[in-house]
Amino acid sequence: MSQETGQPTVTLTIDGMTITVPKDTLVIEAARQAGVMIPHFCYHPKLAPDANCRMCFVEIEKMPRLQTSCSTKVAEGMVVRTTSPTVQQARKSVLEFILANHPLDCPVCDQGGRCDLQDFSHEYTPPVSRFTELKRVFPKEYFSALIETQMNRCVQCLRCVRYCDQVMDVKALAPQGRGTLTEIKSFGHHELDCEFCGGCVQICPVGAITSRLSMYEFRPWMLKRAETICGYCGDGCEITLQTKENRLIEVNSTLGGGRNNADLCARGFFGYHASTHPDRLTTPLVRKDGHLVEVTWEEALETVAAQVGWVKDEYGPEAIGGLISARCTNEDLYLFQKFMRLVLGTNHLDSSVRYGYMNAIEAFRRVQGLHRWTVTFDDVVAADTLMLIGTNVTETNPITGLKIKEAVKQRGARLITLESLKPVRGTISNIATLATHHLELSPDQFGIGVLGLIKAVFEQGLVDSALEQEAPEYVGALRTKIEAITWDRLLAHSTLTPSMFHAAVRTFEQGARSIVVVGQGVLRSPGGYATMVNIHDVLLLLGRLDRPGCGIAALAEENNEQGAIEMGAVPDLLPGALPVSDPEARRAVAASWGQEPPRTPGLTMMEMIERAKTGHLKALFVVGENPLGSLPPSAGVAEALDRVELLVCQELFLTETAQRAHVVLPACSYAEKDGTCINTEGHTQAVRKAIEPLGESRPDWEIFSALSVLLDSPMEYETAKDLTKEIRNMIPASRVLGPAPLPPRPDREVLRRYILGGYRDDLDGRLTPPPVTKTTGTMTLSFAQSLFHSGKFSTKAKGLLKIQSAGVANLNPQDAERLGVRTGDRIEIRNEGGSAITPVRAWERVPEGVVVFPEHFDQDLRQVMSVTVDPRTGVPYCKLARVSVEKV
Amino acid sequence: MDPGSDGTTKLMASKYEKILLKNMEQPGYTGSLQDYEKAGGYQALRKVLGGIPPDEVIDIVKRSGLRGRGGAGFPTGVKWGFIPKDHPGPRFLCCNADESEPGTFKDRQLMERDPHQVLEGMIITCYAIRASLAYIYIRGEFRLAAKILERAIREARAAGYLGSRILGSELDVQIHVHAGAGAYICGEETALLESLEGKRGLPRFKPPFPATHGLYQKPTVVNNVETLANIPHIIMRGAEWYASIGSPPKSTGTRVFCLSGHVKRPGNYELPMGTTFRELIFEHGGGMRGEKPLKAFIPGGASAPFLTPDHLDVKMDFESVAMAGSMLGSGGVTVMEEGTSMVWAALRLMEFFYHESCGKCTPCREGSSWLVQILQRIWQGEGRMSDLDLLVDLCKNIEGRTVCAFGDAEVAPILSTLRYWRSEYEELIARAEASRSSKKELPVVA
Ligand SMILES: Cc1cc2nc3c(=O)[nH]c(=O)nc-3n(C[C@H](O)[C@H](O)[C@H](O)COP(=O)(O)O)c2cc1C
Ligand code: SF4
Ligand code: SF4
Ligand code: SF4
Ligand code: FES
Repeated sequence: MSQETGQPTVTLTIDGMTITVPKDTLVIEAARQAGVMIPHFCYHPKLAPDANCRMCFVEIEKMPRLQTSCSTKVAEGMVVRTTSPTVQQARKSVLEFILANHPLDCPVCDQGGRCDLQDFSHEYTPPVSRFTELKRVFPKEYFSALIETQMNRCVQCLRCVRYCDQVMDVKALAPQGRGTLTEIKSFGHHELDCEFCGGCVQICPVGAITSRLSMYEFRPWMLKRAETICGYCGDGCEITLQTKENRLIEVNSTLGGGRNNADLCARGFFGYHASTHPDRLTTPLVRKDGHLVEVTWEEALETVAAQVGWVKDEYGPEAIGGLISARCTNEDLYLFQKFMRLVLGTNHLDSSVRYGYMNAIEAFRRVQGLHRWTVTFDDVVAADTLMLIGTNVTETNPITGLKIKEAVKQRGARLITLESLKPVRGTISNIATLATHHLELSPDQFGIGVLGLIKAVFEQGLVDSALEQEAPEYVGALRTKIEAITWDRLLAHSTLTPSMFHAAVRTFEQGARSIVVVGQGVLRSPGGYATMVNIHDVLLLLGRLDRPGCGIAALAEENNEQGAIEMGAVPDLLPGALPVSDPEARRAVAASWGQEPPRTPGLTMMEMIERAKTGHLKALFVVGENPLGSLPPSAGVAEALDRVELLVCQELFLTETAQRAHVVLPACSYAEKDGTCINTEGHTQAVRKAIEPLGESRPDWEIFSALSVLLDSPMEYETAKDLTKEIRNMIPASRVLGPAPLPPRPDREVLRRYILGGYRDDLDGRLTPPPVTKTTGTMTLSFAQSLFHSGKFSTKAKGLLKIQSAGVANLNPQDAERLGVRTGDRIEIRNEGGSAITPVRAWERVPEGVVVFPEHFDQDLRQVMSVTVDPRTGVPYCKLARVSVEKV
Repeated sequence: MDPGSDGTTKLMASKYEKILLKNMEQPGYTGSLQDYEKAGGYQALRKVLGGIPPDEVIDIVKRSGLRGRGGAGFPTGVKWGFIPKDHPGPRFLCCNADESEPGTFKDRQLMERDPHQVLEGMIITCYAIRASLAYIYIRGEFRLAAKILERAIREARAAGYLGSRILGSELDVQIHVHAGAGAYICGEETALLESLEGKRGLPRFKPPFPATHGLYQKPTVVNNVETLANIPHIIMRGAEWYASIGSPPKSTGTRVFCLSGHVKRPGNYELPMGTTFRELIFEHGGGMRGEKPLKAFIPGGASAPFLTPDHLDVKMDFESVAMAGSMLGSGGVTVMEEGTSMVWAALRLMEFFYHESCGKCTPCREGSSWLVQILQRIWQGEGRMSDLDLLVDLCKNIEGRTVCAFGDAEVAPILSTLRYWRSEYEELIARAEASRSSKKELPVVA
C-alpha cells in the first residue's frame, strides 16, 4: 500500500535498484520510473499493449524466456534485468531483423534526427549488416493530400492503426497484406479520408507516416521550438510550434503536456499556416479620400487618438464602443477593457463570447454563483455517466470529445447523447455511436429535449429527496409546469418516445459522477439561456449539481472565451467577472487602476450596433472581431458601420469589417506574441512567441498601450509579462498555471437563493416549449462548425483548405434522394431573406429534414438567416433558419 | 505387414479398440442423428444432465488425463478449470476446426463423418464450463464439413439436444459455425478469437490467456475438434477407463494419427498413445511405398522437428517424442524416403511458413523472409558456407522470442535438418562455391 494514496503497490528490483510502484504497472513503466529507458517501438502509454515489435525484452528471474516489458505487469519481488548480455543480444537481433527490409534512406527522411529506429540502431547495431538478400520494396503510393506514407520504412508496430482506433475512434487505417508484405493503408479503397488529427504522424516511431505540409523542409535540429497554446478552439491544446528562419514549419505536441496530453485535431496539427498567410496586414492603414493607404504607425496612432479624443469631447464617452475577439490573449483582453473603461471612460465593450458562450456564463452566475466549470477534463474522463446536449463535440471541441471517448471506451462510462446526429459510423468519428442512449434531435429542438428530461425526471420519481425537503415549492412549481406540457406536444416533430427519455435519465442518475456537456447547439439557438438554466434544473432535481465530480461543462468555441469573461471583456463584468454594478467591485478595481471604472451600464454587441444605426454611437474599436462577416445582413451591421464616424480595426486580415474602417492597425497573431489564455475548463495556460511579428504588426495590447499614452492616460507595460503580473494580482483564480486546475464549487448561498425563489422570475417562459413553426416542405438549415475549421480564421490555413476549402450543404441521403440530388449536385436554398446556390453532399449522419452547412463558408448563405436577440443575455441567434430546398 | 497382392490389406481394426473412428467405420453409418443415436449417441449428454454437476464433469476430464489434440497437448480438464467460477458475464467455447497444419487431416474426417460426436462433446463442455454460446471456427476450405455440421446442428436442435432447456434441463447452448478466410495463423487460438470477433486474425500476446480474457475478453475455452470428440466417451465409460488406454499417466487415450508421405497407405489411424512410429508406418501404413528405405519423418505436423530412422521405435506419446527432440504436435506423421533432399524439404516447409507468417511480430515476420531467401539461394546453387551458421543464428533469434508458437515452429525444419543432414547442405554449397570460383569475378569499379 502506498502511504499517501492508499493504492496497492508492488516492490521489485530493476537492474539492482529497488523500486515501489502501483500494482498493475507495466515493467517498462516501472523501469522508466527507476530511470531506465527500455528501447521500444510498439509500446505507447496511450495504447493498449500489443507486444509486437519485441524490442523491449528484459530478463525476469524465474521466468523461462525473455519477456516483453511492455506487456508484463510488475509483481512483488520480481527481479528484472534490462541490460544483461542476453537482453542486449536480443535487442541487436530485433534491430537486425527490422533493418533487414528497411531502405536505410535516412538522408531523405523527415524523421531523420528524431527517429527511434535511428537512435536504437546507433546504440545497438553493428556497422555491417549480415542481410545480403533482396529487400522487400513497396511501390510508392499516393496516400492523401496532407499525410504521406513511405511503407518501406514501416516497422509494423501498428501504433498508428491502434491510435486511430483506440484513441480517435476513427479507424481510418488498416494493415493490409500478410507477413513482410503488410502495409498500412487507408481503410477501404480510397485515399485517406479521416479526421486528419495527425496522430498517426506523431505516434509513428519512424518516418513511415509524415506530414506533407512540411515535407523536406527541415532537419529536426534546425528547428526552434515554442511551447504554446493552439489558437483555435476552447479546448486549449498545448502545441509546440517549430520554426525555421521565422517561418512556421510544423506543429507537435508532447506526451504529458497540456490538457490535451499530446492529442490534437486537424486544426491544431495542420492549421498553423493561417498565421503567416500572405494576406496578413503588415502596415497600418488610414482612409484617405475614400481609400485605405499605408501609413506609419505614428501617423495611424495619432489619427486614432485625435479622432477618438474629438468624439469623446464632442459626444461624451457614451458615444464610444468596442468589440474584441475572444481569440486574443488575456493580456490583450484585459488591456482592451481597461483601455475602454479607464482611458475612454465607457463600459460599452463586448467580445465574441456574446455569440453564445455568454448564455452559459449568465446561467452559471445565476444558479451556481460562479462563472466557470465545476469540473475538469479529468472529471470528464473519470465520470460514470455523461450527457451531451447539442455539442457536436467532435467538430467543435475535439479534445473534449477525446476525453469523452476515453471515459466511454477505456473506462466504461455510460453516455447519453441529445445530438443532431444519426448514430452511423463514417470517415470521421461520431460520438453518438458510443452512446448507450441516443436521443436524436433536430438542431432547433435541444430546448425541447431538455424539457423532456425534466419531465422524465419527475415521471421516474428521481427527484432528490433532500432538495424536495429544502425547496418543496421549487420542486412543486417545476412539477406543475412540466406536467402541463404533454409528451405529444414535446415530441410532435421527432421520432422519440417518452420511454427513451425515461431510460436516459435513469441511466444518467445511476452514476455517482455525472456530467452534462453543453455545446453550441444549445448556446447559439433561440432560447439558449433558458435551456441552459433548465439544464441546471435537471441537475438540481437529480441532486447532481453540487456533488464532487458532477456538474455542467459548457463548451467554448474560441480558444479564450473563458479568458474574455475572466478579464471582464463584457459590458457588465469587471476583471475577475465581478459585476460593474457592485460598488465594492469597482472599488477593488480602483485599488489597482488608481481610478474607478465607470458605473454606467454598458451596451452589448447588438445594442451597440443598434445605437450606431441610430447615430448615437460615433466611434467603434473592433479588435480581431468581424461582425459584418459573422452576422447576417439583416442584423444591419453594414448600416451601423456606415454611420459611425470612426471605425478602428486591429486585425490580421482585411476582413469585411476592416474594409470599412477608417484606420486599420496590423495586429500580430498568437504565434508572434507572449501571454496567457484560459481554456474552456478554466485552465490558464501560457502562449509563447514562436516567430517575430510579421511586418510592422504589433500585439493588440501594445497598441492599446501606445494609444493610451497619446490619449494622456498612459498604461505602460514593458512586456506582456508585466500585464500578466497585474492580472494575477487582480484575479487570484487566474494564478493557476500548472497541470491540474482546481475547479470551484458552486456557491451554496446563491444556489439556495435560486431554489428558494430565484428560479421564479422566468419560470413560465423557460418551461414553455417554443411554438411549432414547421411548415411542410421546408427544412431546418443549421450553420455548424466543421472539424476542419474554426471561425473564419482557419480558412487562411493552407493545410486545412486541402481538406475542406468550400461550403457544402450536407443532407441526409433520404432527403437527397427525395430532392433528386446526389453528392456533388447543386441545390438552391431559399426563404424570405434571400437565396443561394450551393453544392450538396449526402451524409448519413445528418438527420432527415436538416441541412447542415459549415459556418466558415457561409458568406453567400448568411442572407437567409434572421437575427433574434436573447432578451436576458443579448446573444444574437442567427445559426438556424427554415428554408426550402430545391435541385438546380 | 505387407499389403496383399491385390493391393487391399486387412485393416488393423481388430488390434485396438477404436473410440473416435468407431462409428464411422460401421458399414452404412452416415453420421446422421439417427445413426449416431443408434450407436449410443447423446447418452453421455443425458448422463451429465441426469445428475453430474459441472465441476464433477471437469474433474472427470481431469482424471481421464485427456490432453489437447490441437498441438500443444495441454491437459483439457485443467484448462477448463481455469475458467473463473465467479465470472458474472458470459463465457464461451470455441471449437478449433481450422486444421491447416500441413500433414494433418483428422479433424475434417471427424466432422464430416461423425459430426454429432463433436457436437455432443461441445454441448457437454459448455455444460461443464457453464457457457451457453459456442462457435466452431472452421477452416474456410472445409465447405463440406461446414455444411454437414450445419445440418447436424439443425438436427440436434430439432431433437432438443441444442437450444434452450436442452432435454428439459436448465441447460441452454447455441452453436454457430464460423468459416475462416484462409490464413493458417487463425488456427492459433488467440488469432482465432480475433478473427471470430471480426478483426484481422493476429495472435494476441499471452498472458492473459483465453480462459480469463478470450472471445470479447470473456472467459473462453478453445479446444481442438478431436479433443472435444473424446468427451462423450470419457463421460460414458469413465475417467479410469480412458486413463488406462495409451501410455498413462501422461498420455492417455487414443489419437487419430494422420499418416502421409512416401508410404503405402496414407490415412488416418486411430491408435493408442504410445504406439511406436514403426508400428504406425510399417504395420498400419503398410510400409514404404517403394523400394527406397525410410530416410526421415515429421512426427507431429509441419511444426515438429524432423526425426530419423533411429527414432522409429520412439513411442507416440507426448513425453517420448519430446525426449527424442521433437513433438507429437497435431499427430500428423509425414514420411520421406531415401533420396528426398532434406534441403529441399526444409525449403518447402519454410516457404509455407514464410507465406503464412502473419507479420505481427518482428522476428517471425522478418526472419521468415530472410530464412526463406537463404534457403532458396542454397537450393539454387548460390549458397555460401557462412550461410549455415547464419541460418542457425537467425533461427535462435526467432525461437522463443515471438508472440505465438509459430516462431518456434518455423525454425524446426531448418534446425532439425541441419542437425541430422548438415552434409546435404554442405554438399550443395560446396558445389556452388566450386562453380563460382571458376567464374571470373568482375572487378568493382569505383
Ligand atoms: C501457428 C499455430 C497454428 C495452430 N493451428 C491449429 C489448428 O489448426 N487447429 C487446432 O486445433 N489447433 C491449432 N493450434 C493450437 C491452438 O493454438 C490451441 O492450442 C488449440 O486449439 C487448443 O486446443 P486443444 O487444447 O484441444 O489442443 C495452432 C497453434 C499455432 C501456434
Ligand atoms: S506506419 Fe509507423 S506507426 Fe504505423 S505501423 Fe508503420 S512504423 Fe508503426
Ligand atoms: S482546435 Fe481545439 S482541439 Fe484542435 S488542436 Fe486546437 S485547441 Fe486542440
Ligand atoms: S510468431 Fe509469426 S505468426 Fe506468430 S504472431 Fe509473430 S509474426 Fe505472427
Ligand atoms: S515495445 Fe514491447 S514488444 Fe514492442
